[in-house]
Amino acid sequence: MIKPSRRDFLKIITNALFGLGGLLGLAGLIRFLNYKPDPGPPSEFDLGEALYILPNSRTIRPDIPAAIYNKSGKYSALSLTCTHLGCTVEEDGEGFLCPCHGSRYNKDGMVLQGPARQPLRSLRVEKTEDNTLRLYTK
Amino acid sequence: MIPTLRSGPARSLLLFFFIILALGVFLFASSEAAASPSLQGTPTPLPTPTFAIARLDRPETSDPPTQLDQGALYYWGVCMACHGDRGQGLTDEWRDAYGERDRNCWQSDCHGPDHPPWGFYIPKTKLAPAIAGAGALARYTNAFELHAYILETMPWWKPGSMSTEEAWAVSNYVLKLNKAQPMGISLSLSNASAIPVHRSVSAPPSEKPGALVLALVLALAAVGMVLQVAPRWMNASTAPARPNFVHHLHPPSIPASQARFRYTLGAGGLAVFLSLVLFVTGLLEMYFYIPSPEKAAISVETITALVPFGNLVRNLHFWSAQALVIVMVVHLLRVVLTGAYAAPRRFNYLIGLGLLVLILLLNFTGYVLRWDEGIRWALVVGTNLLKSIPLIGESFYEFLIGGSEPGGATLTRFYAWHIFGLTSVVAILIGWHAFRVRRDGGIAVPPPAQRTDNRRITRFELLRREILVMVIAVVLLLLVALALPAPIAQPLSSTSTDISDSRAPWFFLWVQELLKYGDPFLLGVLTPLLVVVVLGLLPYVLPKSTQAELGRWFPRGNRLAQVLAVLIVLVIFMLTILSLFQLP
Repeated sequence: MIKPSRRDFLKIITNALFGLGGLLGLAGLIRFLNYKPDPGPPSEFDLGEALYILPNSRTIRPDIPAAIYNKSGKYSALSLTCTHLGCTVEEDGEGFLCPCHGSRYNKDGMVLQGPARQPLRSLRVEKTEDNTLRLYTK
Repeated sequence: MIPTLRSGPARSLLLFFFIILALGVFLFASSEAAASPSLQGTPTPLPTPTFAIARLDRPETSDPPTQLDQGALYYWGVCMACHGDRGQGLTDEWRDAYGERDRNCWQSDCHGPDHPPWGFYIPKTKLAPAIAGAGALARYTNAFELHAYILETMPWWKPGSMSTEEAWAVSNYVLKLNKAQPMGISLSLSNASAIPVHRSVSAPPSEKPGALVLALVLALAAVGMVLQVAPRWMNASTAPARPNFVHHLHPPSIPASQARFRYTLGAGGLAVFLSLVLFVTGLLEMYFYIPSPEKAAISVETITALVPFGNLVRNLHFWSAQALVIVMVVHLLRVVLTGAYAAPRRFNYLIGLGLLVLILLLNFTGYVLRWDEGIRWALVVGTNLLKSIPLIGESFYEFLIGGSEPGGATLTRFYAWHIFGLTSVVAILIGWHAFRVRRDGGIAVPPPAQRTDNRRITRFELLRREILVMVIAVVLLLLVALALPAPIAQPLSSTSTDISDSRAPWFFLWVQELLKYGDPFLLGVLTPLLVVVVLGLLPYVLPKSTQAELGRWFPRGNRLAQVLAVLIVLVIFMLTILSLFQLP
């Protein structure tokens, strides 16, 4: 084995220090850019009074986006965000169609045709004491 | 009390007199009310016989009618009855136009208590308000909002019966009634957000004459350059004058075979020049563009609709960017199909490939800066693709868009990347790429001993040819920019997803098409990455052509690489075509 000279040793140490400095700088840069100035989207939505969602009806709320169902007094909701790549699906007869890559879902959100694989997410709907509905996306 | 009248009979007499008087006044008032009933029970002046009947005439229009004419006609036919000929609303003065019988329209004929089936009640609480004059349009800031309100709520008796075009025309006319008419501008989705409702703006003078004259002058200059072919410049010994800074960017002389247009296609030089055009036009746009989610699209509309030559500058920027992608692909193909990428030039080939990727990212970020309905799904899909990367996907996504879903922070970040982050890297790489061309011995040709043509050209001649290509490019760009407007849609809003364009920008349509067939990570992330890696490996893995074969199209030595590159480009092209014709 060749014994490294003092100059080689110093060179290796210096380069290592430069490398370490670069990594530290990179870590700082990532932390800097990772700050998120915007608050996330709301996870709770007020759906108004329960009696306005008629029995056996479907109400589209494009701002959530979600479809609100009332199946004989039982309230439920389906997220309208395509599980493939996040476009908002459009009503297509009974079911839903994604405009971006053509995924189809039936009225319960089950996949009829790919490329999506997961069904549309069901969202929790709760009735409060004063008979209004609240929807939770998380 | 009157102290002097204390006696009984006198007091009774006085009381009787007062009662009679009160009764008389009451009866008189009732008969007056019956003869001329009024809204608040206050007496209204009798119809003025001097009402100028000409005020009800059909407005004069030119042929073909302008948007303002159409608006005036619609207003005259539908709106004027209630809102008045000057937008004054249903004032007493305006109701004189109806004559004696109908001037109290909420009681007569169509609008009375027993109105016929086609009639309707006039709302008594907010009686056809004034739509012109001080404060009438106070709640709107721009014509887009005014249009939205008119389209949704008017006419009062049948909302939703107006077509979008009719509503634009009426909006234009209402602005005119308010002395805020946009001069020489037809309102539409692509400019209305930039049109204020409280002051009049004018369309800039047409940019066509100016741009055409410029194109013509430059075209003539190009002809002049072709005509003055100077054979003396082919000879280095008779070089004129002293070389200037730009001359010094070139070697004193280069082999003539390196500068044959049929060999190089001028693609590399053209790419550099288009980058310069993008730099200048992009800088000009920055003087007006506002990178905030509320104002971005409006400022783009302002550039397009109101700034003199703004539309031309924006179109030049847009079309240069699209042309740059095509020119770079042509350049890449040229380098592969002539075998020019092989060592010692293979590292420079990688720099070039990196530049192509960066330019695509610049194109995508620039596309998003429009922040209108056209970019919604491209942004959502393009960024969601990153989420599909295992392990680091989620954090990479949030790092890139600056939040948990696309929003204001995303616009700021894309703006920073577009105007500076990516641009600086590209500028450095362009310099490095050009430097390496020279360091690696210039454009690939056989070594001197194996050349058939050993003539050389001076840098003066080289620069002359470069300028010629640039001038022709500018003329073509000017013509394209005049003829084809860059896309623009209405500003991005939080709810109206149904009007969004679901297509990716054209250079990513092939990825969008691939994504229809399966796993996002495999097809949307790994496949494009694989394309870049395969192209990058060409000079390192596959056989290369011999030195003697350089400087010619389709050498035998690297046929495999040629076939592979053409195949990749063809498949991408086919997928793009498929996507163009198959969207649901």
